[in-house]
Amino acid sequence: MTIMMPAADQAVLARREAIIAALRKLVPGEGVISSAAEMLPYESDGLMAYRQPPMVVVLPDTTEQVSKVLKYCHENGIKVVPRGSGTSLSGGALPLADAVLLGLGKFKRVREIDFDNRAVVVEPGVTNLAISQAVAHAGFYYAPDPSSQIACSIGGNVAENSGGVHSLKYGMTTNNLLGCEIVLMSGEVIRVGGKTAETSGYDLMGIITGSEGLLGVITEITVRILQKPETARALMIGFAEVEHAGQCVADVISAGIIPGGMEMMDKPAIHAAEAFVHAGYPLDVEALLIIELDGPGVEVDELIKRVEKIALGCGSTTCQISTSEQERLLFWSGRKAAFPAVGRISPDYLCMDGTIPRAALPLVLRRMKEMSAKYGLGVANVFHAGDGNLHPLILYDANKPGELQLAEDFGADILRLCVEVGGVLTGEHGVGIEKRDLMPEMFSEVDLNQQQRIKCAFDAQGLLNPGKVFPTLHRCAELGRVHVHGGKLAFPDLPRF
Amino acid sequence: MDILKVRDAQDVEQAVRAAIASEQPLEIIGHGSKRMVGQPIATNAVLDLSALNAVTSYEPNELILTVQAGAPMADVLSLIDSKNQQFSFEPMNTSQLLGTPDIGTIGGMISAGLAGPRRIQAGGARDHLLGVHAVSGFGDSYKAGGRVVKNVTGYDVCKLLAGAWGTLSVMTEVTLKVMPRAESERTLVLRGLDDIAANKAMTAALGSPFDVSGAAHLPGSALRTTQGALGEIASPDQSVTLIRLEGITASASQRAVSLSTTLKSFGVAEILEDAQSAALWAAVRDVTPFAASGPRAMWPVWRIVTPPASGGALGQAIAKGSQGEVIYDWGGGLIWAALPPSADAQATQLRKLVNAAGGHATLIRAPEDVRRAVDVFHPQPKGIAALGERVRNSFDPKTILNRGRMSRGLGT
Repeated sequence: MTIMMPAADQAVLARREAIIAALRKLVPGEGVISSAAEMLPYESDGLMAYRQPPMVVVLPDTTEQVSKVLKYCHENGIKVVPRGSGTSLSGGALPLADAVLLGLGKFKRVREIDFDNRAVVVEPGVTNLAISQAVAHAGFYYAPDPSSQIACSIGGNVAENSGGVHSLKYGMTTNNLLGCEIVLMSGEVIRVGGKTAETSGYDLMGIITGSEGLLGVITEITVRILQKPETARALMIGFAEVEHAGQCVADVISAGIIPGGMEMMDKPAIHAAEAFVHAGYPLDVEALLIIELDGPGVEVDELIKRVEKIALGCGSTTCQISTSEQERLLFWSGRKAAFPAVGRISPDYLCMDGTIPRAALPLVLRRMKEMSAKYGLGVANVFHAGDGNLHPLILYDANKPGELQLAEDFGADILRLCVEVGGVLTGEHGVGIEKRDLMPEMFSEVDLNQQQRIKCAFDAQGLLNPGKVFPTLHRCAELGRVHVHGGKLAFPDLPRF
Repeated sequence: MDILKVRDAQDVEQAVRAAIASEQPLEIIGHGSKRMVGQPIATNAVLDLSALNAVTSYEPNELILTVQAGAPMADVLSLIDSKNQQFSFEPMNTSQLLGTPDIGTIGGMISAGLAGPRRIQAGGARDHLLGVHAVSGFGDSYKAGGRVVKNVTGYDVCKLLAGAWGTLSVMTEVTLKVMPRAESERTLVLRGLDDIAANKAMTAALGSPFDVSGAAHLPGSALRTTQGALGEIASPDQSVTLIRLEGITASASQRAVSLSTTLKSFGVAEILEDAQSAALWAAVRDVTPFAASGPRAMWPVWRIVTPPASGGALGQAIAKGSQGEVIYDWGGGLIWAALPPSADAQATQLRKLVNAAGGHATLIRAPEDVRRAVDVFHPQPKGIAALGERVRNSFDPKTILNRGRMSRGLGT
């Protein structure tokens, strides 16, 4: 393990049996898991290079139980790591040796469907896809669609502010929420928002969304649902140069077209995907774009023509347009299977997640090629081209000593490059533990201190999901101190009127 | 009164630090166009950001705009308009409602977070603010967010700053997402529906697959003395219900026809195009029926956000109980209510109805003595109020910035 977690509190570990007994009183039945064998499935999340058995797993099934567990932990100085389906790619749900792992998997009910207000109230353990399925009969769906949507929970989506292929047009999780119920570390239950478009007062829902389980435990969520677009069609366009594909993306957007999805794959990713699913991808191109247009039929047909023309103008070498739903899904099948496809050509891979200004793409891909040579590790790229979100997949073999470290160093270099060209460390996977120590590449200590002060407003003892997101932890008392700078001579050289 | 006109972010930092040292709260203004919104602020020092007015960068192909917080909205809007782009949340121009000469600065617009009709489709100011540079009440310059559309690095601090009315930080530079302007727009006009029927029509439209980007209802009595675009289409004492569709021309036209069919049980819809349609929505956005130059200039105006499908019933109850006027946007989810003047702007009665509906109400326009007497922002349950106060404290423990503007208890 190359990323260090906070040292376990031996005093807490010494009380393990008593803690387990106390938790069993709060969550009866099979809701408390403490045997090593049964805790095994909870040792890691989607960042599988890291594993850690928790002190104990607790699986409550009511808000009241969550509240009692947190209150108990708060009063007894016990850390808590919340977990949804455990699909985080950044280690957000990685257990700590001295922490309670609080699983929300039993919160599986859709509580209310309100078509008139275009809102669905769900429990956090409901999967992303299940929401769309629950409303599909009336032509509605829930727009954010992370690749893991079959498995990932909506609670996890809120914690991570998950995106997906369609986020360019329909936004991320944060843009599709109406309300939530959260339990603070103290056990206090808070409800923000509801079925209204805006919450009152400060946008607490906005700060909770994407807070990676550090601010509270989400126990209920109200999402907004949309009518499914009448139709969707896709173009699959090949380019002999990555630059041409990049230009095409820019030109589509400057033409005022916001596609439902706009994905790019580079040559290694195209080859891996094609070998895996036989989607009919051209193998002699350097870059492949899949552009999906959705909406009313007449609009989609017209925009398909416009995009095709733009692509030709950018030097596309191949262009296929889907004429049936089956064909559209075939185009996507390779892209959607890109991660497992890469898994077939390499024993292990690390999936990175930076975002860059779109214009910087050719430069970033060129530099990545140089790094790949330097580290001696292959890299395949899939890219949410519309919103500049890169997913370089670094190929390595964990069984070769030192390769994980090498892959992580390569990944860190890629993320530093993203920041250098004006981008950010993570577009949708979250900071978690994976990018925690890179935060200073993007934020100064002052920036991070302000974020940690917000944490203090929610969890002053720092018991909720510690060791994630922030590279260094400060005491809240220290962060809250106001320094009086200089004397009282106000504004000596400011113009006065 | 001391007015400190800052030239750059360092000046802001210096001013806030000096204010901390001298325990002197600061009122933060751009052009001051929304100064009369909120609880009155007790201070005699004003921090004026209007000189921080540069466009840092505008990259139409990236759909990204970075400007200093004091940049005039008028300039920013004309800049992005020149590239056929827009803020898709349709920020409200408050000048007509509040009776100010100026439409204000971009920092003020984000701090107020007043989104227009397209909020139902595209979200609000909070959804389009990607990054900020700001100075906290600790006197520290910090940044949050970034300059790309997709970013989950660290807490989403931008969400808190949008709509915080300058009580958390002084924003010095902001990065916003811009979007292409639609090629065409069409507005369906239905006449003579009462509030409940109109609410149903709007609900049906918003639940249709036709991608509605505006749904408003204006009762006949509210239109009676309205000037401008809304006055022109009004017939005497008849309500109008407006439903907007945008997109490429062929699509907007076809959807307008299809939606008319869907809504035929509500009457025969007229279809207005482009410029005529746009003028109507600008008037809805800016709440011109309650303009400060009109006959209801002296009436306090409430902005009520409520679950949309029951908005008609709530609005009707408010209008009846108060002898006031209401207009509806966001398919019923936003109600503007102008009520006959009273010492408390009828806050108690109004909030009782709004609470029962699951909404919240903000007093956007009222004389200073009224704003002193009532909670301008909706009172919150104890737990959320306390959490909100802890969050505010995490940015500004000495309550230097716009002290008490959002909370009566703090304005001492």
